[in-house]
Amino acid sequence: MKPSLRAFFDSMGAYLARPGTTSLDALYARHPGWDAPRERVSLYGDFVLGHVRGALEKVFPLTRDAVGPEAWGALVRDFTSTRPARHHELNHLCEGFPAFLGDVTASRGLAPFAAPLARFEWTDFAVYAAEDASPTPVERLTANPTLAVLEHDFHLCAYVRARGAAAAPAPGAELALLWRHPVQLKTYFMAATPQALLVLKMAVEGLSLSDVVSATGMPHAELRATVTRHAREGLVFLPADGEG
Amino acid sequence: MAVTYAQRHGLKPLGAGIGLRRSFYGELPRTERALDWVEIIPENFLTLGGRSQRALAACKERWPVLPHGVGLNIGGPDELDDAYVQGLTALVERVDAPFFSDHLCYSRLDGVYLHDLLPLPFSEAAVEHVVPRVREVMDRVGRPFLLENPSYYARMPGGTLQEADFLRHVVEQADCGLLLDVNNVYVNALNHGYDARAFIDALPLERVVQLHLAGHTRYPDVIVDTHGARVCDDVWSLYRYVLARTGPVATLIEWDQDIPSLDAVLDEADAARTALREAPGR
Repeated sequence: MKPSLRAFFDSMGAYLARPGTTSLDALYARHPGWDAPRERVSLYGDFVLGHVRGALEKVFPLTRDAVGPEAWGALVRDFTSTRPARHHELNHLCEGFPAFLGDVTASRGLAPFAAPLARFEWTDFAVYAAEDASPTPVERLTANPTLAVLEHDFHLCAYVRARGAAAAPAPGAELALLWRHPVQLKTYFMAATPQALLVLKMAVEGLSLSDVVSATGMPHAELRATVTRHAREGLVFLPADGEG
Repeated sequence: MAVTYAQRHGLKPLGAGIGLRRSFYGELPRTERALDWVEIIPENFLTLGGRSQRALAACKERWPVLPHGVGLNIGGPDELDDAYVQGLTALVERVDAPFFSDHLCYSRLDGVYLHDLLPLPFSEAAVEHVVPRVREVMDRVGRPFLLENPSYYARMPGGTLQEADFLRHVVEQADCGLLLDVNNVYVNALNHGYDARAFIDALPLERVVQLHLAGHTRYPDVIVDTHGARVCDDVWSLYRYVLARTGPVATLIEWDQDIPSLDAVLDEADAARTALREAPGR
C-alpha cells in the first residue's frame, strides 16, 4: 500500500475512533488543503456512532428504559469508545455490553439489576439467532440445543414478560431458562421449576420415564404429561415414539 | 457495445428483485405476486440461525438468490477477513448464486468494523490497492463478482481521479463486473454538483450486471442515501436512461429503513419490471 493511502486510513481511523470536534480538527490538520465541507465529513462520524447506538437500542430496550435517558446516553458513548464492533455481523457488538455495565454499575450508581437485565436481553437475542439447527428427528429425549441458563438475584423473567412495566424486578434468586422454539423460532423463557429441571435432567442423563418413576415414585401419567408439556414448549425434543 | 462482462460469464438478465429483510421473513416466501429474484445481505445469514435461515431456504426454493455484501471491506487496509470470506464462499455455493457483490469502499479499520460504507480517495494508489484484493476475492469465492459505486458525501483527501475514471480503472484492471446503483449516482450528482447522465456515459457500461434503485432523504444541505423511501421520479428517469444504454439488467429495489409493507416494495419491483420490458435488447 502506498504511504499516502496508509496515511489516509490512519487519519480516518483516528477520527472514527472518537468522532467529535477535536478529532475532526485533527483530521483536517493531517490533510492541508482538503476542502471538503466539515459537516459532510462529520456525517461519517455520526453514522459510525449511530450504528453502535442503534444496535444497542435494538437489543437492550428494557435496559435502556431502566437506566434512564441520561445514564443510557453516557453508557452508549463510553461503551462505543471501547470499539466493540469486532465482528462483521452488527449485533455481535452488543455481546460485551452486559459485562461493561457490570463493571460500571457501582461507579455510576446504576440499579443493581441493570447488568443482569442486559445479560438477559443479550441472551434473548443470542438464543433467537443461534446457529444451532434443531436435531430432528431425535432418537431419545433431547435438550433444546439453543438452551441458555442464567442465574441472577432478581425475578427477571416476570419483569421481562411484563416488558418492564414494574419499576424494578422483584429481588430474589432466579434460574432463568431461555431457548428458541424449534417451530416458531422465537425465544421462550421461564424461571426454572423443579419439573422443568427434572425434564432437562432426563434429557441430559438419558433417563427414561420408568427410571424416574422408579426413583421418585412420581405417577407415570403425571411425569409423561410434564415431559410432553415441556416438549410442546420446545424446551426438550421428543423422539418419534413419544417416549422419554 | 462490445462483448459484455455478463456475456463473457454467461449471466442472463434476471428481472426485478427485492431484498429479503427481517420484516419479510414470514411473508415473502409465500407471496403470490410476481418476483424474479431475491437479494440477501450475507452478513445477516453467515452466523445467524433461526428465522433468517428458514426464510432463506424457502426463498431459495422459489427464486435465484443474489448475495450483496456490506462487510467485505474490499478497499480497507486490513487483510481480508478469512472467516468472512470462507463463510461468504460457502453461502454463495449454498444458494448457488450466479454472482455476488459488495461495495467499492472500506468498512473496517484496525480490526474494528465500522458498519458503514466509507469512501476511498479517488486515486491511483487506491486503485492499486483494491485491484489485487478484488482478484483475490474472485479467486477464493470462484464466482463472478460485482462492485457497487457507493454514495459519498465528501470527496476524500488525496484524490487525483474523476469518480467515473476511478470506478473504471478498478473494474477494468480487476476484471470484475459493475453493480450500478442509480440512486447513488443521483444522490452523488446532486451532492457534488455534477451531471448524472454525463457520469453514466463515462462508466464502463459493458460491465454492468445489476442495477440498484432506492429512495433517499433530502436535508437542507445534503441528500442522504437512506433506502428509506420510494424511488423518486428523477431516479426512475435516470434508470430508463441507463437501460437505454445497457438493455435489460437485473434490478433491485432496495428498502432498508422505514420498511413499508411487502406489497409496497413489490409495487416498486413491478415498476422496474415494466421498465425492463420496455428496454431495448442488448
